[in-house]
Amino acid sequence: MPYSELVKNFERIRDYMRQFYVYGFKSRSEYDSKSARSYDNERRRIESWLGDYMSFRTTAEGKNVFISVDSRSAEQNPLYNAFRAKSFTDGSITLYFYILDLLSGGKALSVQEIVDGISEKYLSEFENPEEFDVSTVRKKLKEYTEMGLLETEKRGKENVFSLSEDGVDLKNWAEALAFYTEEDPLGVIGTFLPEKPESKIDFRFKHHYILNALDSDILCDILLAMSERRCAEVAVTSKRNNDIIHVHNVFPMKIFISTQNGRQYLLCYHYSFRQPMFLRLDMIHSVKPGAVEKQYEKYMGYCEKLRENVWGVSVGEPFSMDHLEMVIHVEKGEEYIVRRLEREKRCGKVERLDVNRVKFTADVFDAGEMIPWIRTFTGRIENLHCSNKAVEKQIFDDLEAMKALYGGDEDVI
Amino acid sequence: MLFNEIYGKYFAAVSEIIKAAQSGKLTEKELYAIVRDNAFAESSLVIPQMLKDENWPLLRKDLSTPIEHAPERSLTLLEKRWLKSLLSDPRIKLFDVSAKGLEDIEPLYPADSFVYFDRYSNGDSFEDPEYIKNFKTVLKAMREHRKVYVEFKGHRGTDQKRNCVVYNLEYSSKDDKFRIIASGDRYSFIINMARITKCELMEEYSPEEFRPKAPIKKEIVFELFDERNALERVMLHFSHLEKETEKIGDKKYRVKLLYETEDETEMLIRILSFGPMIKVLSPQNLIEQIKNRIEKQEKLRTQK
Repeated sequence: MPYSELVKNFERIRDYMRQFYVYGFKSRSEYDSKSARSYDNERRRIESWLGDYMSFRTTAEGKNVFISVDSRSAEQNPLYNAFRAKSFTDGSITLYFYILDLLSGGKALSVQEIVDGISEKYLSEFENPEEFDVSTVRKKLKEYTEMGLLETEKRGKENVFSLSEDGVDLKNWAEALAFYTEEDPLGVIGTFLPEKPESKIDFRFKHHYILNALDSDILCDILLAMSERRCAEVAVTSKRNNDIIHVHNVFPMKIFISTQNGRQYLLCYHYSFRQPMFLRLDMIHSVKPGAVEKQYEKYMGYCEKLRENVWGVSVGEPFSMDHLEMVIHVEKGEEYIVRRLEREKRCGKVERLDVNRVKFTADVFDAGEMIPWIRTFTGRIENLHCSNKAVEKQIFDDLEAMKALYGGDEDVI
Repeated sequence: MLFNEIYGKYFAAVSEIIKAAQSGKLTEKELYAIVRDNAFAESSLVIPQMLKDENWPLLRKDLSTPIEHAPERSLTLLEKRWLKSLLSDPRIKLFDVSAKGLEDIEPLYPADSFVYFDRYSNGDSFEDPEYIKNFKTVLKAMREHRKVYVEFKGHRGTDQKRNCVVYNLEYSSKDDKFRIIASGDRYSFIINMARITKCELMEEYSPEEFRPKAPIKKEIVFELFDERNALERVMLHFSHLEKETEKIGDKKYRVKLLYETEDETEMLIRILSFGPMIKVLSPQNLIEQIKNRIEKQEKLRTQK
């Protein structure tokens, strides 16, 4: 197959884009699981799609390619471009424009009338064009009808097709679209809209994680299953198990999104493991919708119960809970620390002990998830106890390691 | 589902080419210009040739087209369902959108499908009528290139007022807040939208004469020790910033990040969250602040 900047399957390019964006220090030879030719083709495609966002650095190991974006100043998520590069056949693009043209002006035509129209009106203008048979045209009309581009109705014994009239007035959507195209988890759809009105508002997005755009197709499939309360078969790569892909039969319940690293997770009920669990969206390869779940309320009840004590996206050891207490020292004029505790805690409670001490208490499934947050109070932790002694030890060991690290000992890790 | 050819840049570019051909003004040069503006960097190697070779029989030899009507497709069901979902987001009230044409459409996802589990809990009140009114005044001012007069509560609770040009409206998903980035007579400033108590439209200004000031950026360099999956966690956490990463040893990396100066305290907190997985090499003032925090922690520990 000759090289094309378009792709049929999104899966492989998704992995390359993620690696170029997240890491960006690997040289060509380090992409060892793929062939060199495959690497060259994918890199060339991504360069073509992203233009100036691709950067290069030459090191002793070779040329490193990476995607560098300050998402606060970028006008639009550049990774969205990847979703606008689907390959197609010559017949497919030609038929698209012929069908739109033939049905313009409110016309309703049968398959045969469309086939004849194509032949007489367009193909007769060209030398040796490829004719379109009835079954090819019928298949395309069916596809466009399912997508909502066309409508069909009976005329006598045959079906006739006409262009859909959507009646949606996008004129006053300009600013909302500029905002949601970047901010909504499925904002990529905003880039598809035809005749999108131009916004005069220059929105900027702080803490804007753009990488999850690459999982939009998976997210869309999950949301479609969720909207119909269906269970689903999801194929997931297991990082702990040599990247083997496992298929899980689950009931999708919620999408958990981190605003602090952009990762997206599916909270689902796992039918075989008989418990709720989280699956990373970037590890999911495919989603196949299944039957409608009759016990929807029961599973959503589990979900709500779980949310009361989950700090992040871990349910820890089944049926166990960690209790954590932390006393924070607050000086006069440092009330903002108390406000930080209040707004950043995801569960638990904050109590004032005296003028200089504030106590935070929580019961969570996995206190290990709280460690990064607890570390942000370094210099203020008067006291800390956790029923999970491994977590407590980790926090104090890390503080010791920090002390050694900034005291000149680089071998502490 | 999403990954479909009709949403692709090739279809969009060819659509523009057909429109130009219908106007009778399409030239070879124009053909390449349309492809350059509407498709990818290398598309000019493909699209013009496919049209000229009649692999896609849509243009005649003289660059006219047998297509009679301007190619216009309606919204797909997916697009409509997405728009319908947006209508149930609380922030949609900040924009005057019309729900016309979406009445019988099922939303793509229910409003409560997403849980932003680490979002701060003191976000803006998007449904407060006063907030909505101020937000819309700011939008109108930006749209019409007019200055605004704002009164607001400063960080220390003091009443403040400014006459300013708003040039950016910034949203943070983590804070769930909008902020206006504006410029007064002498300097630029940032005001949380929720702190604005009064907002009035003022006179017009010339956008040509007004040049927003580029934010001042600072560089931070640190070493990263890849233990407990720190490499992936750190890279993702800081992935929204311009950065360069270099491998300097076994499980050891050097990372350079650029951040805006106003975020210095936030950067300190974020660096601390990774504990001993990160050792800051510069700037010196950040290193001093980290050392100060470690010393304070040590004092609290020994006082027990």
